[in-house]
Amino acid sequence: MANLLWLQGGACSGNTMSFLNAEEPSACDLVTDFGINVLWQPSLGLELGDQVKTILEKCISGEIQLDIFVFEGTVINAPDGTGEWNRFCGEPMKNWVAKLCDAAQYVVAIGDCATWGGIPATAPNPSDSEGLQFLKREKGGALGGDFVSKAGLPVVNIPGCPAHPDWVTQILVAIASGRGGDLELDEFHRPKTFFSSFTQTGCTRNMHFAYKVSTTAFGQRKGCLFYDLGCRGPMTHSPCNRILWNRQSSKTRAGMPCLGCTEPEFPFFDLAPGTVFKTQTVMGVPKDLPTGVDKKGYMKLTAAAKNASPAWAEEDIFVV
Amino acid sequence: MTQNVQDDDGSGAKDGLSGDDQASQRRMIEDLFEGGLETQVDPFPETDKEFSKLLDQLRELGPEDLREKLVVSGWKLTPHGEDEMRCQECMYYLVHKRWCDLPELDLPAEPEWWCRLWRI
Ligand code: SF4
Repeated sequence: MANLLWLQGGACSGNTMSFLNAEEPSACDLVTDFGINVLWQPSLGLELGDQVKTILEKCISGEIQLDIFVFEGTVINAPDGTGEWNRFCGEPMKNWVAKLCDAAQYVVAIGDCATWGGIPATAPNPSDSEGLQFLKREKGGALGGDFVSKAGLPVVNIPGCPAHPDWVTQILVAIASGRGGDLELDEFHRPKTFFSSFTQTGCTRNMHFAYKVSTTAFGQRKGCLFYDLGCRGPMTHSPCNRILWNRQSSKTRAGMPCLGCTEPEFPFFDLAPGTVFKTQTVMGVPKDLPTGVDKKGYMKLTAAAKNASPAWAEEDIFVV
Repeated sequence: MTQNVQDDDGSGAKDGLSGDDQASQRRMIEDLFEGGLETQVDPFPETDKEFSKLLDQLRELGPEDLREKLVVSGWKLTPHGEDEMRCQECMYYLVHKRWCDLPELDLPAEPEWWCRLWRI
């Protein structure tokens, strides 16, 4: 059995909502099939007030072994580094986070806010928010860059806005079943099993990407969303088109550009007007090119692809 | 199912337009230039901000404002600049339909033509 405690900092609860929709395995499966004992979770816990505080204190003292500490939301430091803007059980949440991370075998950050600050940490970051071990791309965060939990791993980051529920439950199962040590993490502490491929991997628009045919309106089935509508699929690490949302779709399949929400810079360009859902260009060339492609190569590739493109690439091939 | 009408030279025409309609629109564009039409080729919209401003201007025009569309977009019947930018490589260009698919323009175009809304 593995004891799991889940707390929320500067969060919208979106990751909890996502988690509750998990299917493979479901949140219930974690308890019934994989021996996870949920000590407390903001939306599921029955305890209130001092009863919750007692659970936290027992975890910190070791009276209850804390196997997995899950944190959702940012660590809020405002005002003036005190964290008083986010109080919980009688003290700033940031203090609980520090103590619980020290007590836990594994620490798992769920969603962009907990991993690297996400939307709350967007400039001017009024709540002085940060992730557990990163602030955007910069290593450090609330726990410091060198932090490792008792099991010897840094914070396991499962980003996303929100994170896909099955990424969360599958990682929790791996840890609870004693395979936490097998988790390979990338430079941003994301499990490689989910975050080595791109959102574009498995996208139904790949042929249109290859032949450089653009989608020009939301919801259009024809074309690729990268060229005009700001899709970040070719440079975002996520399995959104391999492990589908609700087991049947993804943003790009529904005609909606990927926002790159599993990357530390999300939301990109600090949400400046005109930057969302619009491919940013300099002299007509996209500012951000597909990962590993340079400008010269991109231009050549486009010219060749346009010349070679078949007529069907200009049609809506998803006939209903 | 989408069915394309074939125009004279066998290329697929833009959905909803017959090959003849498309050809006559294309001729109208060429006639305007033969008549000495000057378009606003410069400045090239360096970033998306300027690009969006041009789109806003175009959105105010009706489908019948062909001349004004060409002027605002800086339309040309030849490639542009040192890099020989042209519709053929532009991502709004549908090479088989010979059509500019940018919704604010939505006009027939030839591979060697160009306008300042070009993007790759
Ligand atoms: S936007 Fe301009 S360059 Fe691109 S296809 Fe249309 S007319 Fe040609």
